[in-house]
Amino acid sequence: MELLPFFEWAETSFLGYIGKTYGGVYATFGQSIHLMSLAVLGGSVLVTDLRLLGVIMKDVPSEVVANEAHKWFRIALVFILATGIFMAAAVAQRMYYNDFFWAKMSALLVGIIFVFAIKRPMLKGNHADIQPWLLKLVAVASIMIWFSVAATGRWIGFS
Amino acid sequence: MINELLLQFAEWLYATSGSRAIEESFYLYNWIEATHVLTIMLCLGMLVFIDLRMLGLAMPGVSAVKISERLNIPMMIGFAIMFITGLLLFYAKPTYTIQSIWFRIKMVLLVVAFVNAVLFHKRMKASASTWEYEAKAPRHLRINAALSLGLWAGVVMTGRLIAYDWFHCYRELPAWLGAAAGCVAD
Repeated sequence: MELLPFFEWAETSFLGYIGKTYGGVYATFGQSIHLMSLAVLGGSVLVTDLRLLGVIMKDVPSEVVANEAHKWFRIALVFILATGIFMAAAVAQRMYYNDFFWAKMSALLVGIIFVFAIKRPMLKGNHADIQPWLLKLVAVASIMIWFSVAATGRWIGFS
Repeated sequence: MINELLLQFAEWLYATSGSRAIEESFYLYNWIEATHVLTIMLCLGMLVFIDLRMLGLAMPGVSAVKISERLNIPMMIGFAIMFITGLLLFYAKPTYTIQSIWFRIKMVLLVVAFVNAVLFHKRMKASASTWEYEAKAPRHLRINAALSLGLWAGVVMTGRLIAYDWFHCYRELPAWLGAAAGCVAD
């Protein structure tokens, strides 16, 4: 499937026009809210994963931590996707030819599938029923995946 | 006077070999910057959960003091990393950064956020035993928590805006803005 026409269209769309024309809107509503959402998303990932690894909050049930953090993960994900789409629309054609953009999109897709198809269904139940090594493996995988998403995302700006 | 001194200090820093080495190294500078940005997840991620707990928006069934104490250590580790990488970023581009209005606002917000955090901890320790298991902290602490979220959002935004030179000294600026940004006459 040829995606370039879609990226060309995105840049001429209303969102693309706003981001391209008004640098202040791009930097505040786009980049800054994207980073604030990263704080919440990354925080919710780390709170859960560090708890599963037994690094923090050992005296709080991991089920409580995972459930509460997941609520904020979903909210942050909505904001991070919305601001990400806004930013990408403004520079869509440049993104199309940027390797790190595609690396990030791949990592993000893996991250979303990992959370909603593996991590969340697994952590919904009683954690005592799950092998401890498996919980730790999921936590390490989760940290690595979301680190990759954030790092490749930051590197888009450098490349 | 203060702006002249700050600029002289920045120019001295700029001339050191370490400063030149970081700015001129593509990977070194960008990895320091990436580390600074990515550590948001650790430092502000933990801070957000402490504040949300005070506001009754996260883990309301768990002792607020426990959440605050347990998340404080990873938050401070994150802060230390952000502080060190932030110093290095400043060291790499001292003359540009010292005359950035956004950097200056960010520093003010950081100081206010620090004072707010100290007040918050003092107030929390003084009264915690009476409310720590309630879903929400008392009103004055909720104000501290909301302020903390707002101030750190401001720190993130102004930090991101340092990259933009819309109000830099080589632009036409009103006198008050030029003075606030640290511009000095040639």
